[in-house]
Amino acid sequence: MGRMCMLLAAALMVSAISLVTARHQSRQLFVAVERLEDRSRELDIEWRRLQLERAELARNARIDHIARQDLGMVTATPDRSIYLDRVPVLQGGRQ
Amino acid sequence: MKRIPFFNSPVLDRQMPVWRAKLVFLLLMLGFVALFAKALYVQGMDDEFLQAQGERRYERTLVLPATRGKIFDRSGSVVLASSVPARAIWAIPEDTRAASPAQLAELAKLLDMDVSGITARVADTKRTFVYIKRQVSLDVADKIRKLNVPGFHQLGEMRRFYPEGSLMAHVLGFTNIEDEGIEGVELAFNEALSGRAGSRRVIKDRLGRVIEDVQAVVPPVDGKDLHVSIDAGLQYDTYMALKKAMEEHKALAAAGIVLDVQTGEVLALVNLPSYDPNDRGDRKGAALRNRAMVDTFEPGSTMKPFTVALALDRQKISTNTKFDTGNGRYRFKGHTISDVSRNGTVNAADIVRRSSNIGMAMISEKLSAQEMWTAFSELGFGRAPETNFPGVAEGRLRPWERWRPIEQATMAYGYGLSVSLLQLAQAYTVFARDGDMVSLSLVKREGAATSKQVFSPQIARQLRDILEAAAGPDGARLAQVEGYRVAGKSGTARKIVNGKYSKSDYRSSFVGFAPVSNPRIVVAVTIDEPRGGAYYGGRVAAPVFADVVASSLRRMGVQPDAPIDSMVAIGPNGEKAR
Repeated sequence: MGRMCMLLAAALMVSAISLVTARHQSRQLFVAVERLEDRSRELDIEWRRLQLERAELARNARIDHIARQDLGMVTATPDRSIYLDRVPVLQGGRQ
Repeated sequence: MKRIPFFNSPVLDRQMPVWRAKLVFLLLMLGFVALFAKALYVQGMDDEFLQAQGERRYERTLVLPATRGKIFDRSGSVVLASSVPARAIWAIPEDTRAASPAQLAELAKLLDMDVSGITARVADTKRTFVYIKRQVSLDVADKIRKLNVPGFHQLGEMRRFYPEGSLMAHVLGFTNIEDEGIEGVELAFNEALSGRAGSRRVIKDRLGRVIEDVQAVVPPVDGKDLHVSIDAGLQYDTYMALKKAMEEHKALAAAGIVLDVQTGEVLALVNLPSYDPNDRGDRKGAALRNRAMVDTFEPGSTMKPFTVALALDRQKISTNTKFDTGNGRYRFKGHTISDVSRNGTVNAADIVRRSSNIGMAMISEKLSAQEMWTAFSELGFGRAPETNFPGVAEGRLRPWERWRPIEQATMAYGYGLSVSLLQLAQAYTVFARDGDMVSLSLVKREGAATSKQVFSPQIARQLRDILEAAAGPDGARLAQVEGYRVAGKSGTARKIVNGKYSKSDYRSSFVGFAPVSNPRIVVAVTIDEPRGGAYYGGRVAAPVFADVVASSLRRMGVQPDAPIDSMVAIGPNGEKAR
């Protein structure tokens, strides 16, 4: 009977301590999750910013200007083009 | 002194009445009962209040804002609108007294404001919250935070950017400072774009760190990304072509539309003058008008093909029927209808090509008012196109019962009714397709477009020939495009000024499609009040049409269907130029 009591008391202690550690670990993991979520949000914002920057750089007006003024390019007219047969014609502009 | 033990004290020797002891005991017991009852009440019966009070000390509800969706062009690679976080700088006026002039000067420099502007805002110390500047970019806001000026604080908000600027302004519209759409596509699709804010209930510790979630998190639903039907490339070309023409002809305004014939998608929609949606100060006045959709005008000669098509469809005339238009003046029911030049005896194709008003009046005599009204309303005139765009115009087509005979004749050549450029472009899809009118779309279409048969396919084919001749060497030849067969009709409508037709204010337009062998695009162009001398649609608007068609078909990769004098003899792999 006495030994049984000792055994149960020890088991109780182990369980109690493991509860505390589990709780602690869960808190730590929660903080880590929070931090990673923040990071993902930050990266998303960065992606948006970069996308906007790219859009700014790839603006038709800018490209047209660079092509014509800086690079001295001209528009391809049909009389300077060779049209290959069976080239898949895109539907409604660029896809 | 003799010690007396306290229990033998003579003071205690007096006998107290028993009731006093009982009374004290009773009062004590009553006190305990009251205490017990209160405890029972607070713990068991009225526990919500205190529990809520307790939770308020450590629980917080955080709002998780949803991000507004991006807008892309039809290719999906060009961002037309996107939101990024920004900060609002605000102040508590009372606290800003502690700020030194040097700090304020630094702050003003960062914010691009005058120091006096800032001090004026914080002058009223009774107020506890004053915005200094909103929509400040994050890096500037971070620099301001480092300055640590007393009394100035920051608040997170979103700022929307439109990289294409004035090019897309009228299609996209813009959002207000709370990131809600108030114009254009931003308004029309506001609900889908805005998304839904989420929330989470958390426990915070003493230092304000989130310790754990109390309830399951309601995640924010970010706004859906939207793909509009506009092609950024075609839009740019159309914009530049219109801009050039507007400057050349010193016009008041201009508008242009490019429609995809197969899908009914709006590939380009340009209005001039335009504005920069990124600049809040620029968003005012007439530049905001989406003329192509919201403004209506009398279409003039661009209406003629529809009347001819109707007369052919009802077999009231044939392509061989001759009309004697005389010497260019014609008495009709007490009114005089005149042509620009004398046309003699002509058939229907010549009437359209030479844009004879007299010929049109003669054709209209063979039709009933009801027939014309029915056809016009089937073509979408007098009712708003189903594009769910805010403020899209219906135009004006009065019921046929109230048409006077002269009005029936003038309507045959485009006066007495009003349409928007969008309606006109849509109606021309009837000729570009097989007599059916396609429904329009401002967003990229997933499924097939619906269409409604107005004329028979064979009539559409006949009209294609007539319109090709009208844009041919003997018609509006400035509309011609190298390498492609084009068809279309010019229009020069007098504007109504103070209730009378003006002799100096015109609206020049051109509507057509290309390539004729297999039409891919409908292009409608209108130039308002050209003042550079020329004002005929065939002179002012047709070259813009040609520019837009040439660049659009090139961008779309459509093969030429007209013979070209090629400068390339032979390709690298032996291909022959055609």
